[in-house]
Amino acid sequence: MLDIKKLERRWLKYKIKSFAPYFMVFFLLLLVLSGVSWWFKSQISTQTSITKVPMTSTLKAVSDKSLPLTIDENTTILEPSMDFIQSFQDAPVPNEIQTSPTSIKKIPTPQLPPIPKNLKIPEYSPSQTVPVASRLLGDDKSLSIKRDDTKLDINELQRRFKETSNANLALFISRYYYDHGDYNEAYNYALKTNNLNNRIDESWILFSKSLVKLGKTDQAKKTLQLYISQSNSDAAKNLLDNIERGNFK
Amino acid sequence: MENSLFSKPRELFLDIVNPRDYVQIDSVSHMYQSLKSSVQKPLKMILLYGRPGTGKSMLLHKLHHDLSKHQKVHMISTPIIDEEDFLRVLAQNIFGHAPRETMTLTRFLEISSALSMNPIPIVLLDEAQLYSSALMEKIRLISDARSIKFVITLHKTDKEDIIAKEHFQTRIWESVELQNATAEELKIYVQKKLLKANCFDVANMFNDKNMKLVASLTNGNYRETNKLLFSLFSLYCWYEENNPNLIKYNSIKSKWIEMAAIHTGLIHA
Repeated sequence: MLDIKKLERRWLKYKIKSFAPYFMVFFLLLLVLSGVSWWFKSQISTQTSITKVPMTSTLKAVSDKSLPLTIDENTTILEPSMDFIQSFQDAPVPNEIQTSPTSIKKIPTPQLPPIPKNLKIPEYSPSQTVPVASRLLGDDKSLSIKRDDTKLDINELQRRFKETSNANLALFISRYYYDHGDYNEAYNYALKTNNLNNRIDESWILFSKSLVKLGKTDQAKKTLQLYISQSNSDAAKNLLDNIERGNFK
Repeated sequence: MENSLFSKPRELFLDIVNPRDYVQIDSVSHMYQSLKSSVQKPLKMILLYGRPGTGKSMLLHKLHHDLSKHQKVHMISTPIIDEEDFLRVLAQNIFGHAPRETMTLTRFLEISSALSMNPIPIVLLDEAQLYSSALMEKIRLISDARSIKFVITLHKTDKEDIIAKEHFQTRIWESVELQNATAEELKIYVQKKLLKANCFDVANMFNDKNMKLVASLTNGNYRETNKLLFSLFSLYCWYEENNPNLIKYNSIKSKWIEMAAIHTGLIHA
């Protein structure tokens, strides 16, 4: 006698058993596919992160690059030793030195906000330590220190001029030598300045004064007359009058 | 229950060997003709072998049924293990002699030579693998004496290749191997069997898909197919009586074929 109910249950078990391997294969396949897709996603994300990192790093690098640039500019422009030299000098020299940093300060402010951070970089502390030391030692001692620095600085400035051929720098060196009575060097650097930029009044005046000091008064007059004819400079006219009257010797 | 559509087909697939139920299939028919022509030759022994359920017994019964009309043929369906009994049965059924004394091989050969028959009588031995080697040796001696021609059937098993046995290897002159049916042959077998019994509606319910499933479950074995279909029609009978709405009369349900296979042990669930 057939037990149909039991037979149907056994049949159901058999069907589940027979389909189980297919389900297993299907789920394994699904698992493998999901694993592979996950792996691809992770690969893509790592690639994007890798690509992102250089971008930020490049940005940082750019910003980092901007730092030394500003620093270099500041170092060339701030020129703390030059301040000391200027302190010895009368005349309008300090004004020109002050103008150059202000003009450069204007450049970074709109585009590079981290400039204040750059300014805080402690590499510039040696220049700041000088005034601190001067405060501790007193004003007289600080003067002697400054003189030593200028000797060092004039050589440094000459070296730097060879590298940069900066007209302002050449003018400054010329002024320095003129003030120190080295008229020959003053003449040379004034000539270099004129060759680099022939529109600087002071350079022509220093050139003419040096010529007078070197005993070449006629040449100085001719130079001044030539310059006055081209620039109509009042300072040059005054100097020419003084030379002709004999007030400047 | 008696008027059920499926009760008659169920009875058809009872595993009973009856030559009247023999279904002619091309491949089997070819085998049968080959066997029949071999019997006409002056051979001593003919071997019919194959796996269990391939139709050896049915073919042997069919041969007995057909040959008995023309010549002396004796069929021993159930092996007679005792040697004297075996010789006595042969002497009585072939030569019509029942000696009172003890029957020995020598005595049997004397009887057979004294009562020689033309054509040579044929003895059909089914399930010959059950005979002892000693008795098989006696059978060989009888066939060598040309007093009786033997047609024997053997199971072909994986463990033992019976054809390799010495007493068969040297003396069998003709052998016929029966094999399992293909899905197409099995469909012909089932439909012919049903049509022969006028079960037209049920015969039409079997389609190719059903028969492929049946063939895959039974490996084309006729005996297994009979068992499976008997269980299947038993299931149909039950549903016809208890839940007739589930029966579809245009095809056989695969689910019920599988349930029948579970019931017969063809599927282990």
